[in-house]
Amino acid sequence: MNDTTLQNFQTQQDSSTASEGAVRGPYSEAPTPDKGQPVTRNESVEENLSVRVRDLSLWYGEHQALDDISIDIFANTVTALIGPSGCGKSTFLRCLNRMNDLISSVSIKGLVEMDGRDVNARGMDEVALRRRVGMVFQKPNPFPKSIYENVAYAPRMHDMVSRKADQDELVERALRDAGLWNEVKDKLYEPGTSLSGGQQQRLCIARAIAVRPDVILMDEPTSALDPISTATIEDLMDKLKQDFTIVTVTHNMQQAARVADYTAFFHLGEMIEYNATKQMFANPHTKKAEDYITGRYG
Amino acid sequence: MHVSTKRLASSRFAFPGASDKEIRILKRNALIDRAFERSTQAFALAVLLLLGAILVSLCVSSWDTLSAHAVDFLTGDRWAANMEMFGALPAIYGTLVTSLIAVAIAVPVSFGIAIFLTEKCPEILRRPLGITVELLAGIPSIIYGMWGVEMLAPFLNHIFPDLFPAGSGLATAGLVLAIMIIPFITAISRDVMLTVPPITRESAYGLGCTTWEVVRGVIFPTVRHGMMGGVVLGLGRALGETMAVTFVIGNNLFFHPTITGQGTSIAALIANQFPEADGAQRSALLALGLVLFLITFAVLATARYMLNRIERRAA
Amino acid sequence: MLKTSCSALLAGVLALHGIQASAQETMTGAGATFPYPVYSQWADDYQDAKGIGLNYQAIGSGGGIKQITAKTVTFGASDAPLKKDELDEHGLMQWPMIMGGVVPVLNLPGTEKNSLKLDGETLADIYAGKITHWDDAAIADLNPDVDLPDTAITPVYRAEGSGTNFLFTHYLSQVNDEFADTIGEGKSVAWPAGVGAKANAGVAKQVAETEGAIGYVEFAYAKQNDLDHIRLRNHDGEYVEPSSDSFKAAAANADWSNAPGFYLVLTDQVGADSWPITGASFILMHKQVEDPAAAKRVLEFFDWAYANGGDAANELDYVPMPENVADQVRDSWGDIEGPQGESIWP
Repeated sequence: MNDTTLQNFQTQQDSSTASEGAVRGPYSEAPTPDKGQPVTRNESVEENLSVRVRDLSLWYGEHQALDDISIDIFANTVTALIGPSGCGKSTFLRCLNRMNDLISSVSIKGLVEMDGRDVNARGMDEVALRRRVGMVFQKPNPFPKSIYENVAYAPRMHDMVSRKADQDELVERALRDAGLWNEVKDKLYEPGTSLSGGQQQRLCIARAIAVRPDVILMDEPTSALDPISTATIEDLMDKLKQDFTIVTVTHNMQQAARVADYTAFFHLGEMIEYNATKQMFANPHTKKAEDYITGRYG
Repeated sequence: MHVSTKRLASSRFAFPGASDKEIRILKRNALIDRAFERSTQAFALAVLLLLGAILVSLCVSSWDTLSAHAVDFLTGDRWAANMEMFGALPAIYGTLVTSLIAVAIAVPVSFGIAIFLTEKCPEILRRPLGITVELLAGIPSIIYGMWGVEMLAPFLNHIFPDLFPAGSGLATAGLVLAIMIIPFITAISRDVMLTVPPITRESAYGLGCTTWEVVRGVIFPTVRHGMMGGVVLGLGRALGETMAVTFVIGNNLFFHPTITGQGTSIAALIANQFPEADGAQRSALLALGLVLFLITFAVLATARYMLNRIERRAA
Repeated sequence: MLKTSCSALLAGVLALHGIQASAQETMTGAGATFPYPVYSQWADDYQDAKGIGLNYQAIGSGGGIKQITAKTVTFGASDAPLKKDELDEHGLMQWPMIMGGVVPVLNLPGTEKNSLKLDGETLADIYAGKITHWDDAAIADLNPDVDLPDTAITPVYRAEGSGTNFLFTHYLSQVNDEFADTIGEGKSVAWPAGVGAKANAGVAKQVAETEGAIGYVEFAYAKQNDLDHIRLRNHDGEYVEPSSDSFKAAAANADWSNAPGFYLVLTDQVGADSWPITGASFILMHKQVEDPAAAKRVLEFFDWAYANGGDAANELDYVPMPENVADQVRDSWGDIEGPQGESIWP
């Protein structure tokens, strides 16, 4: 899905809808860009489509948690999902690597495409999918293993490395990419749980990027961390987007403003607005998003 | 006035301005509370006392045997009551072999069931299956014994006539014990596996690990002490099991270093002989009981220790 | 364990029952399981005839001995007789009440039922684990007409202590010195080979399920279940069938009058028709009783049983004691004294 023809086609459509939106004014309740597209695109950057979601709805038993979500997520960007608690942003995130499969009462309708392939298709193996979509959670949760093994376990399981030297190299690279190498290089064989909270979270990131996924999902990755560790992780996200597509859920709007290229605002299971982050914070198109961003509720 | 000051000085309950009635009620309540505290303490101590008393009485009543021939008792290769030769080796060997066979069979099966129940089982099956496992754990052992002697022993004899010429034997008893302790180990394994936080499980799945990789690399290491505890509790149950074993073990009182052949276990030997025993035989059987008590006690203490470790960590 | 707790419970229930029953003149006894069917038949008949009931707890010979020494019952019953010094130690006396036999049974497809012949020597070697296959020369020599298969022999025995064990091992010890030295006689012995099963039924079942198995059960049990039994060579060298007649033949030659305290086990008796594994079941009572009335009631019952119990015993495949033995027993009852040293019988 990264061919320029499609890209051009979409850009053309964009410009037409953007002008329509402009006519209706910034406070219109229903901006109508093409389905799933942000109201405004970042200029001057060549962005390829990574994840395409159309009409996605999800139910926990009888309760509908996601209602008709459509969104395009671009490669090598950071996309932040914001919204009040219970708005469905984490649930949505978990649809991207089919983590909701682990909950048997869940039913899903709609399309989630990863690099052009329908992830919910009958023939799709969720293990193969999850190799391409890494995940980092709210609370740092190293495996009950050494720092080294935390990183090396999954690659070894996937037969990504055969020789010990390759494995060492892979571990070092992942830890370097996660900005943790200098802090742990002398104690690789100590338990992962011996690190501080911020280091543990970076270890979890190293663990996720060690399998070289395309997309990294982060579910409020800094909510359990102190401000300094949070800043380190935010810097890291900015670096990592060169190699990975990052989708992050956050409670913290300043964080979204700082790290995200695009921001999607969720409310009660619906995606209310999706826009380039600068636009979203400077000039939200919907009343609900504006109210949330300006702190009227949340 | 004089009396009142004295009272104030002497009573823990008297704050200035407290009426006599108030003080009386406070005193009464304190008394009741202390009595309550003491009696709960007494109950708790009674358990300890009981344990000590059992141990002491076993030692005392088996003293004749232990003091006279402690070495022969532990190494003698036969239990011939009519000749006053009381060698515990066949019974100790049989007890250990049947229990180890049981654990060797039960552990993979139980872990398999527990993994299925916690990781793969569809929600609608989870409760019924879990309840079935718990019900199996509650079946009285004599029923397993009857099943063993009616169905399992003839079946083994039919399938492997050379290994099981009589159907019964140590391996048969081990199999019956395995079936008895599977629900037990399964229930504990399932419970401790459920203590693994969902987030740990999900982050492993999130790396693209298969169920087996998640279980082996993440869940087992997280709860291994708890699962070991479950196994050892199952082992403790197997060691002391009497009725089911007596039916199918073959009850041979000579020491044979065999796995499938006939033998006896401590519990089976005591059950068979104690009702008719007196004198030296009675003392020897009590000494045998002491041996079983010590083995089981050691095993259960180990299990308790392991379970404590996981509980401490979970907290 | 279950057995103990059950009998404890039973004892408790019976003790409660006993309090009420003593007013209605009930007799209490406990012990051997082997004679239990005939004792309870006698008790029913006696209840009909005299209106006096019997509470008998079939808890095994060892339990019977314990209960009578503890004086919780008026009489005890044991399949194995006590030696003279054991009796004296507890101030007890004993006498034979009923006889029966132990019968080796087998499961050997390909041979004609009830046809296989063995002698005591060979039987002992089988149980000592020295003869391991049915086509062993020792067995073949005794059965020249039988085409013996090479099936392995699985000896089956009683796992719990029992009077049947005692009779069987007593016999094997009589006829095979090596067996007497290495395994010996007793209610529970260590068998070098084979399978232990519970009670007559357990032994019979294990034999039935195991090809090549040999076991031993009480005659009454073997007959009622029509098991394939062995013909044994007796002391006179004759092969005999187990039956009431061959037990009576063994008993007829027994010299009870020269047996102090009636200590006599009827194995390997002389006589061309004698079944070699025959034995009596014994009653135990205190020589000095605390409750003369109760003792007298019990003695009257046994007196009645000697005189009138023969038919019931025969019907249940037991062998009643011959009249001359019964008379000797009645004479011995003169030794029983009440608390003041008064004689109770007759």
